[in-house]
Amino acid sequence: MRLFALALALAAAAPACAQPAPLAEEPLLQVARLPDVWPKSFVVVHDINFNSILDGRLAVVDTASPNQPLKGLVRDSQMGGALFSRQRGEILTAETFYSRLTRGERTDAVTIWDMKTLQPKGEIVLPGGKRQQSVIYPHLFQFTNHQKWALLANFTPAQSVSVIDIDARKVINEIDLPGCSQIYPTGERGFSSLCADGSIFSVVLDAQGKAASSATIRNVQEIDHQAYFSTPAYIGGTAWFVSQRGLVQGFDLSGPVAKVVPGAFSLGTAPGADPEWRPSGYQVINADTAGRLYVLMTPHGKEGSHKDGGTAVWVVDPVRKARVAIIPLKGPTMGIGLTEEDVPHLVGAQVDGTINVYDTQSGAFVRSLGATVAFNPFLVYTVR
Amino acid sequence: MIGFDKLAERLTRSVARQSSRRSLLALLGAGITGAAAFPVLPVARAAGHAGGPAHQPVTSGNPQDPGDRTSCDYWRYCAIDGFLCTCCGGSVNACPPGTEMSPITWIGTCTNPADNRAYIISYNDCCGVSSCGQCLCNRNEGDRPQVRPQSNNDYNWCIGAQSSVYNCSTAVIVGLALDKPL
Repeated sequence: MRLFALALALAAAAPACAQPAPLAEEPLLQVARLPDVWPKSFVVVHDINFNSILDGRLAVVDTASPNQPLKGLVRDSQMGGALFSRQRGEILTAETFYSRLTRGERTDAVTIWDMKTLQPKGEIVLPGGKRQQSVIYPHLFQFTNHQKWALLANFTPAQSVSVIDIDARKVINEIDLPGCSQIYPTGERGFSSLCADGSIFSVVLDAQGKAASSATIRNVQEIDHQAYFSTPAYIGGTAWFVSQRGLVQGFDLSGPVAKVVPGAFSLGTAPGADPEWRPSGYQVINADTAGRLYVLMTPHGKEGSHKDGGTAVWVVDPVRKARVAIIPLKGPTMGIGLTEEDVPHLVGAQVDGTINVYDTQSGAFVRSLGATVAFNPFLVYTVR
Repeated sequence: MIGFDKLAERLTRSVARQSSRRSLLALLGAGITGAAAFPVLPVARAAGHAGGPAHQPVTSGNPQDPGDRTSCDYWRYCAIDGFLCTCCGGSVNACPPGTEMSPITWIGTCTNPADNRAYIISYNDCCGVSSCGQCLCNRNEGDRPQVRPQSNNDYNWCIGAQSSVYNCSTAVIVGLALDKPL
């Protein structure tokens, strides 16, 4: 009888012995924070979110994390603009809202977001309901004056640029810009724009944000046959543009007004073209700190192919005016970015939403983040 | 607003007819004659519902205006960028109910494979309702950078409507492209 009781007791105790301790209770209402200093493997992917453009967003992405690359989202509504500043610890978005979502009173505003919490910390309401809405160009919203000011493009379709004092939280001036578009920061305090007559126009701003002087260089762009993509790559103070047919032209924007870098050159040719290699995509050119250009190319180049997306990246040395490598991509890619790592990685945002990471030195495919961070990734921002 | 619309419409047609680019575009159009017979861009293709059923064809019934208006290959769409209104409750030249057609827009020159003429197409956006989400199509023949607003399809042209919220794009014939040298 005692033996039977012991057996019963052991049988009853056995499951309890085999079962581990229960999971600890967890605190509620936790919200993750980003690191105080974003790792250099972080980039931001701009998702226009075609199926609800009202709900555009910026995805903070760790390109080194294959299983949890999406680190957080920032709203960027209605073809919004975006700026990033490690120096300020801020993200700025330039957006448009309606009081009844799709209708009602229009409000344009710049929102200032904290880079650690992704929470809004300030807002600048923009008068006039004129913020330019486009699919999607980074040079409609740019810093100047050592990141104290932001410049924002307007289009009604009259064109102008608003000068915004970020810390004072106000628009301090508006520069009329008839016939010109895009904002390329130039010198300490000013910008240049490309114009419909083929010229480049530079404005120097005074301490109040007013135009102190301006300069024009004519015939820098042949828009019918050699139109430049609107988004250049920067190496130091030089902006390198590439045309729809693969002509590379630099503009020195380090001084108060733009200067043409002498010696435009062609990207050349390569095998496998049908009918020819041309740049293609929405963010087709980028640069690393070693001074190499990366150009997104399609082998199916022809009139109208310039936004199809590319399947290879040509690495180009603009000093030697020579291609130094070709990086094959895993699929049709709309935008190429580079990380801030000491040896940067190339980040390709594909048409199908996939983000792929490549080694800029060997050209090898490193990892895929899958289609896990954005519905319609068009731009990959390097965060500086 | 009607007066403004009419003014804008006249302006669009006038710009289209007087544009110095039109002969180039007509040439480009001629150069791509038959483009409608070729499959279009991977971007446009990728925009569909992966694995989902396609839209049933919608045609004009007029042999002089051939093609499926729910397809990105339809000849009028040579410089369109957006959701096709034919798939959204509207048509190739009318906006869906509940939206407003923006009176200002961008234009393209497309060759009609049936008569081999180059037509000026006005891609008026429909506005005031959120993205249609059906039949996304992006073609860029004759598209040029934003320095030429009238030939750039990346602007949100709903800025001409009461609400700039974009729903879909039409492709309205506004005239024949004249053949003049540059």
